[in-house]
Amino acid sequence: MNISYNWLKEYIDLDLTPEETSEKLTLSGLEVEGMEQIGSDFDGFVVGEVLEVKAHPNADKLQICDVNVGSDTVQIICGAPNVAVGQKVPVATVGSVMPLPMEDGSYLKIKKAKLRGEKSNGMICSESELGLSDDHSGIMVLHPDLEAGTPLKKALDVEKDVIIEIGLTPNRPDAACHVGVARDLSAVTGSPLKNPYNELVSKAGSIDDQISISIEDKTKCHRYVGMMVKGVEIKESPAWLKQRLTAIGLRPRNNVVDVTNFILHEIGQPLHAFDYDKIADKKIDVKTFDKDVKFTTLDDVEREVPAGSLFICDGNGPVAIAGVMGGENSEVTDSTTNILIESAYFKPSSIRKTSKSLALQTDSSYRFERGIDPEIQLKAAQRAAELIVKLAGGEIVEGYADVHPVKFEPCEVKLRLSRINRVLGTSLKMKDAEKILNDLEFETTLAGEGQLLCKVPTFRPDVSREIDLIEEVGRIFDYNNIPSPETSPFFTPETLSETEVYNQKIRRFARSLGYKEITTNSLLSQKEADALADREEQISTLNPVSQENTTLRTHLSGGFLKSIRYNLNRNIENIRFFEIGHVFKNVEKEQSTWIEGVREHTNLLMGVCGQKRSDNWQGASEAYSVFDIKSDLESLIHFLNIDGKVERKAESNYSLNYLLDGKIIATLQQLDEEVLKSFDVGQDVFIAEVDLTELFELNAGRSETTYTPVAKFPSFEFDAAFIVDKSIRAGELSSGIQKAADDTLKSISVFDVYEGKNIGEEKKSIAFRLTFLDPNKTLTIKDVEPKVQKIVQSLENDFGAKLRS
Amino acid sequence: MIDNIEKIKKEIQDFNISNEDDLEAFRLEFLSRNGKIQSMFALMGKVPKEQKAEVGKAMNGVKVLAQQKFDDAQLELKKATRKEFGALDDITLPVEPTYAGSFHPLTQALDEMKQIFLRLGFNIADGPELENDFHNFTALNFPPDHPARDMQDTFFVRKSDDQNEQDLVLRTHTSPVQIRLMKNQQPPLRSIMPGRVYRNEAVTAKSYFQFNQVEGLYVDKNVNMGELIETLVMFAKLMYGSDVKYRVRPSYFPFTEPSIEMDVWWENEKGGQWLEILGAGMVDPNVFESVNVDPEIYTGFAFGMGVDRIAMLRYGIDDIRLLYENDIRFLEQFKS
Repeated sequence: MNISYNWLKEYIDLDLTPEETSEKLTLSGLEVEGMEQIGSDFDGFVVGEVLEVKAHPNADKLQICDVNVGSDTVQIICGAPNVAVGQKVPVATVGSVMPLPMEDGSYLKIKKAKLRGEKSNGMICSESELGLSDDHSGIMVLHPDLEAGTPLKKALDVEKDVIIEIGLTPNRPDAACHVGVARDLSAVTGSPLKNPYNELVSKAGSIDDQISISIEDKTKCHRYVGMMVKGVEIKESPAWLKQRLTAIGLRPRNNVVDVTNFILHEIGQPLHAFDYDKIADKKIDVKTFDKDVKFTTLDDVEREVPAGSLFICDGNGPVAIAGVMGGENSEVTDSTTNILIESAYFKPSSIRKTSKSLALQTDSSYRFERGIDPEIQLKAAQRAAELIVKLAGGEIVEGYADVHPVKFEPCEVKLRLSRINRVLGTSLKMKDAEKILNDLEFETTLAGEGQLLCKVPTFRPDVSREIDLIEEVGRIFDYNNIPSPETSPFFTPETLSETEVYNQKIRRFARSLGYKEITTNSLLSQKEADALADREEQISTLNPVSQENTTLRTHLSGGFLKSIRYNLNRNIENIRFFEIGHVFKNVEKEQSTWIEGVREHTNLLMGVCGQKRSDNWQGASEAYSVFDIKSDLESLIHFLNIDGKVERKAESNYSLNYLLDGKIIATLQQLDEEVLKSFDVGQDVFIAEVDLTELFELNAGRSETTYTPVAKFPSFEFDAAFIVDKSIRAGELSSGIQKAADDTLKSISVFDVYEGKNIGEEKKSIAFRLTFLDPNKTLTIKDVEPKVQKIVQSLENDFGAKLRS
Repeated sequence: MIDNIEKIKKEIQDFNISNEDDLEAFRLEFLSRNGKIQSMFALMGKVPKEQKAEVGKAMNGVKVLAQQKFDDAQLELKKATRKEFGALDDITLPVEPTYAGSFHPLTQALDEMKQIFLRLGFNIADGPELENDFHNFTALNFPPDHPARDMQDTFFVRKSDDQNEQDLVLRTHTSPVQIRLMKNQQPPLRSIMPGRVYRNEAVTAKSYFQFNQVEGLYVDKNVNMGELIETLVMFAKLMYGSDVKYRVRPSYFPFTEPSIEMDVWWENEKGGQWLEILGAGMVDPNVFESVNVDPEIYTGFAFGMGVDRIAMLRYGIDDIRLLYENDIRFLEQFKS
């Protein structure tokens, strides 16, 4: 919201610079987000009279002008096509500085110059060069009655101003206008507020014979005030008013519409001016429709207004969308002579709903939806009527209409001094709090020991509780003035939560294996999401920011693939990444985590792609294989101390599931071609995706370490090669061995895999090294042989395996 | 006897070892079981008692001398016989080191923040990123149809007209974790709640549709604004150095009242500017009531700050998109 510094000063005497003013506002709750100086005092700029125009001998487009600048006649070279003898023009004389910065940020100073050999002592300016408008088609031509030599500031009746841009928080509708901002400044500086509305009185009387006003939907319109001015002349507003409006970024229209806008920004009451003669049947009704309504607003746009939106209607139908925008059919035009002023209070949520559904926020809807002062309508209408008469002539029709079905209940709140000090940590006295509240126009009365009864001003709909009053006291007192606690708050140290410790442990583990951490988007495109999971499992946003980011990730692999593509495109060869993040699946009620129907888990992804080692003098380059990622996943399994408990089940030739207590805790994969294609990745990618939430819940790696004595006796190694059908996987044999062995079998490794004609076309041989250990004695071949026999027998039964001799 | 010993000593000293054969000859002559030294020790029994000490000492001296000469010669020969220095033995040849992995700069900044709040006595709590309307808005005192809801552009996952079915959203802030904590646990409590949040905003250098926050909450019987500011100042000093220049100013959040924001002064080429680093305030009584905590008995403060922004300031990163592109040339600049 823009506030003009000059305008502000109409309501408060300030001996603060704009910068100091901004600082005060920021520290009391109206955060200044930016400041911009506009306009200029035009020092050294005067009205000039063009006496003679001659062609420039050396340049087609330039002309030599003799210009009377009052004290003197000077020669100025001018390139504008519209310069002509007799014109009154703005002249920047030698020594003056142009008001707008050049591209490099510096300001052009006008000097004596020679242009193509001809002297030029000054510059004739366009509107855009003066910062008055965007018009740079030619020089600005001034009113012919102006006298040469008149200072331009006086001729244009302009002054420089500073625009203060305030980031208004939704709780402060009262500050959405100049008087409101001045009120805060008054409380902070002690300089009194000069509120022009305090003196306004409306003459009693009825205008019912002119217009009949009724409210059909009383829940959405609480008050509707109408006043009339007859016999106006619609024309351009005077310079002071245009300047006020342009300063804060509004475009002046005509004297009547400008007055309504002026009042909106002065006191915060949105007004609407109707052309009275266009109101059919001389009646106004405020109502809603139970179906959508097509309506053309005064910006010449036909809009489909949803059912339930509030309208102002005349005898024929809608003439304005209440609180949002007026209609083309009743707007004030050059030929308007009689004006009906609307000054109403609409229910905030109703206006908000309409404005949102039309995606149309106006200065008016912005204020209504935040909550305007419900008691200012009559005064605002009066002020508008008076100003219109002043600027457009005509006369006020005596009296007013005031339909007021929902009366405002004044709010009184008790405030305990002890509570102020308890919440703020201050030691304020009653009179300190009272002073601040009174300055903000809260009426206070003592209500017993240490208590105030505060009457909340009508323009503060945000204040209804004791805590709200405490905030008022706090913000004007300035939070920076709250003393440090006398004793520093002493906090008992906390221990870290178990999940936090767990995730940190995993994170450090991944880093130790040389993985770089990445953070990827949680939202994938539909195509990407489809490559990773079925539609039924996916969860999508209803209002995606773009088609690239519509659907929540079910796996971390999608983000990983995107980051691979990014890096491969930049000729990165060795990619070794990990990520820890949340993944989301649509599930049955029983599988929900936090939110019903949603399974939100924390996953770990470790992934590799490209060249493990590049070509170098020690050997040729080596690409990653699935065994590299498997080795790292096994390393994690070992780190979590669950080696013995994990089951490994091949899903396919390219995918291996790791199960703990029957639940999948990790998946090892070489990603398939189709997935890679969906992500536009042209190289093999190997990943391990681990479900940390599941692992945590299954207590993996969370038990405390207790020492067990190291083995006193040596282990015994036994090598055995089995010939089996090619279709049988090594993992199945391992499990078979495990199943047949007793607990003296400590480890199983594969030291050779062989296929060849001599053992049969459809056969392969896998050679295992079995390590046995007995904590109570030294094992000998006599002890081990029966164990091995049992294993051989079992593998033969289950897999048809033959011991290779 | 002594003379004999001296003689052997002389022989040892004069023996020339220049190759493996000499070395073996030396060993056989002096150090083997039938060598001169063993034979010498065998005569010990014949030495008169009063000379035993002196002779024994001399014999030992000779034995040590012989062994020493043998060891030295053996080492010399080994060095001399070492394989010839080849092209591949060049120790200046480059290698491909196994580099340690690294943490993402967001993780690093967050870790630093966690460490600070741990020192200040805060635990760490967690919550879901997909939330319902109650936790994300209603319990936090965002009334339905209130402009405050516009402060945060929300991604909806489910929007329902059915009163019994709540809207589902991607959480717009970490504040809903406050509600979850207070629902499950009676005060006193003191936690920070880091996590990813979402806003429906276009991606530019300055904004992204996902980012990270750290929420903080402290509820007890007499928590006040003075303590809140003190805590925030301690954080700012530990994060940015004890000479950090800061200010607090009033602000508005539906779930705190009074609400404040904290700025720190950030030096730059043009002099400097105030940069907002966090929002905070006293827990609004309405929030307490939504989780059945009596606001007359308990007071509390809450704060929230953006991790991305703090990381960007920390490392001089000027484009938030870098944090989510995962360019390896970016990532590898963050070593730890």
